Amino acid sequence: MPDQSTSGISEEFVSGNSPPLPHLILTVPREQLGEFFIILQQGFTLTARVGGSLQELLCEQLGLSREYVTERITTLFLNGKAIDNLESAIVTDGATVALSAAMPGLVGATMRRGGYYAAMRGAITYQTGDSGTTGGYGTVRIKLFNLLLSELGPDFLQRGIMLPAPMLNAFLKARSTPFWETCGVNGTPIGTRPAQAGTGLPACGMVSLTVQFKEQP
Amino acid sequence: MDKIARIDMGAAGGPKVTVEEVGEYAGLGGRALTSLFIAKEVHPLAHPLGAENKLVFAPGMLSGTTGSMTGRLSVGCKSPLTGTIKESNAGGQAAQVLARIGYAAVILEGKPEGDDLYKIIINKDGIQIVVDNSLKLLDNYPLVEKLRGEYGDKVAYITIGTAGERKLLAASIACTDPELRPTRHCGRGGVGAVMGAKRVKAIILDDAGMKMRAPKDPDKYRDANRKFVEGLRKHPVTGEGLPAYGTNVLTNVLNEAGGYPTYNFKTGQFAGSANISGEAQAELEVKRGGSATHGCHRGCVIQCSGIYNDKDGHYLTKQPEYETVWSHGGHCGIDDLDTIARLDFMDDNIGVDTIEMGVTIGVAMDAGIIEFGDKAGAIRLMDEVGKGTPLGRVLGCGAAITGKVFGVERVPVVKDQALPAYDPRAVQGIGVTYATTTQGADHTAGYAIATNILKVGGDVDPLKTEGQIELSRNLQIATAAIDSTGMCLFIAFAIMDQPETFQALLDMLGSFYGIEMTGDDVVALGKKVLSAERDFNKRAGFTKEHDRLPRFFYNEPIAPHNQTFMMKDEELDEVFNW
Repeated sequence: MPDQSTSGISEEFVSGNSPPLPHLILTVPREQLGEFFIILQQGFTLTARVGGSLQELLCEQLGLSREYVTERITTLFLNGKAIDNLESAIVTDGATVALSAAMPGLVGATMRRGGYYAAMRGAITYQTGDSGTTGGYGTVRIKLFNLLLSELGPDFLQRGIMLPAPMLNAFLKARSTPFWETCGVNGTPIGTRPAQAGTGLPACGMVSLTVQFKEQP
Repeated sequence: MDKIARIDMGAAGGPKVTVEEVGEYAGLGGRALTSLFIAKEVHPLAHPLGAENKLVFAPGMLSGTTGSMTGRLSVGCKSPLTGTIKESNAGGQAAQVLARIGYAAVILEGKPEGDDLYKIIINKDGIQIVVDNSLKLLDNYPLVEKLRGEYGDKVAYITIGTAGERKLLAASIACTDPELRPTRHCGRGGVGAVMGAKRVKAIILDDAGMKMRAPKDPDKYRDANRKFVEGLRKHPVTGEGLPAYGTNVLTNVLNEAGGYPTYNFKTGQFAGSANISGEAQAELEVKRGGSATHGCHRGCVIQCSGIYNDKDGHYLTKQPEYETVWSHGGHCGIDDLDTIARLDFMDDNIGVDTIEMGVTIGVAMDAGIIEFGDKAGAIRLMDEVGKGTPLGRVLGCGAAITGKVFGVERVPVVKDQALPAYDPRAVQGIGVTYATTTQGADHTAGYAIATNILKVGGDVDPLKTEGQIELSRNLQIATAAIDSTGMCLFIAFAIMDQPETFQALLDMLGSFYGIEMTGDDVVALGKKVLSAERDFNKRAGFTKEHDRLPRFFYNEPIAPHNQTFMMKDEELDEVFNW
């Protein structure tokens, strides 16, 4: 497996909190990373330069090494379409990018980038020209699946991500007491589950979330 | 594994055992043995629940050895669900134990008069058939618990629940796992109903006093097995993805691809998918003191199963697989893992196929019996199946019957068997296999993805759309061959990507039997099996017109990609032209 230290996200190009959004900072033990998988699977938003290729987004903006992208992220979707060629897939404003490691089963093999069975899902394969080419900055929704959750998730969470307020509120409301007992909110330990688990966030619109991981002694 | 046992359940004076040499079936195992046997000995127009049908249990070619991943048990018969030939296989301990006792196959023939229920005890001393009416109407978990009281924990059990006893067409045959839980099922095609028709409730396999099967060349076999295991462990799918998340890791990916059939195949994405994904499931299992990594039989390296505990930390069921989570989950609009796990337990306990039952409940929802997303309602319907009420008997006979009884037009079946968890409008290539397989709609019929290494059918350009017919053909040939070895199909990933791992598998087979095996031999075996199965189906009245998907797949575009199934009939008819 490629070295994960090569997957640092570039703050220059990608930011979860560049617009002035209501911002929540959670501090949790690293063992609680799995609690955040539901957000990472459902997808979070980043500001990014758009109009370029998927390869450019992953390697230049997100800072993932080419080796990691080639060997580890073997299954990719852009707006629900399976990707075979990262360089010809264009990321536009509002696009959704889903990233996965190799999957089991025939259909797992079918979805694999440039795989032997790619023809079997030809009806949902990304074709050149499926996206426009407008440049500038915009937003991109990222989804992480399976092995990539623990490998890429911490970087994204520490740098900050954007997500709809109802989604974050629902996430916070669903956390159990043991989570809150180990959690700090905006620098303050909580100790018990807050009565209003939304911690003062708005009910609608976008908000940003940063997660700081503290190592257990 | 040099003998075959025939048990005539309908013999005058009571069941009679005949043991014979393995003869023309020497060197065969699993699906090769069951299908060649059924094709030869069962009248194609026999009633599947009648005395003319036969039920064959066959371990794989390497079962009972020290080899890894060799624990699949094949069961073959004429299917009461599809009317076709049927091979259904499962993990668990049964194949290993049966092979060590020395049987290449155990065959149930005939049909007894009367209502007596039998159990069969197979050990080194022979085969005993005993009337035991105290087992009547026990479901699989209490049944195995009761048998354990008599036969202990150092055996393997093959059982049917009440669904099999009632001869419901979705009935499965359960094999116990290493913890003696009846969690591994020969699920598809109603094989449990055939066992029920033979009035056999349980088979107890005891290999006490028997040794591991010995290879012809022990050193070469040991070396090949070591390389095979290394290959499985280093591959990201078999060494990381499956052990960490199990097969349910596919939920997120299929949903993202728009190929996740939702609300009885009305749309290709489910809003609640992240709540029931393999990632969420593994997290919950570990948090509750269960496990996301568990082997269904001893000698499994991949360990794609797990233990699912309830919220109080008590065992509820084994880790539900992707197809189960889909059929009871997204297909029915249910996004609650505890409900799905409860339904999985009920499937295993009553003894029914999880795919068939989940799809059936979705069809019942389409009929308006309960609403999509009704968790309590889904459990209530399963209860009806378990109790054998008139409604439960209809549901327990599968999606096709249920659709007919309730007048539902959208019934996702081929040859009356429910489609699995991949929409053929998004993944058209798998639709070719669903339509044409000898088994009725079955994702595993074209699952052995190592065709490029096997060189089945020569070189195919996979990026050409017209290559899909060839790909499906090659996949079905390769799968028939792998199913005959008794190896778990999940080995196919490591074989596909790592030629040295495929060579290790060939070396295992070759060194065990003292022969040189090549990829061509494997391909020839696959073709032989498929040809026999096709011939049986033809004699049973199946034509090319049966090799089609239901019309709604051609007429109703599915979101988000707005696709219909586009393969032409004449293309489908080319699949078996080799």
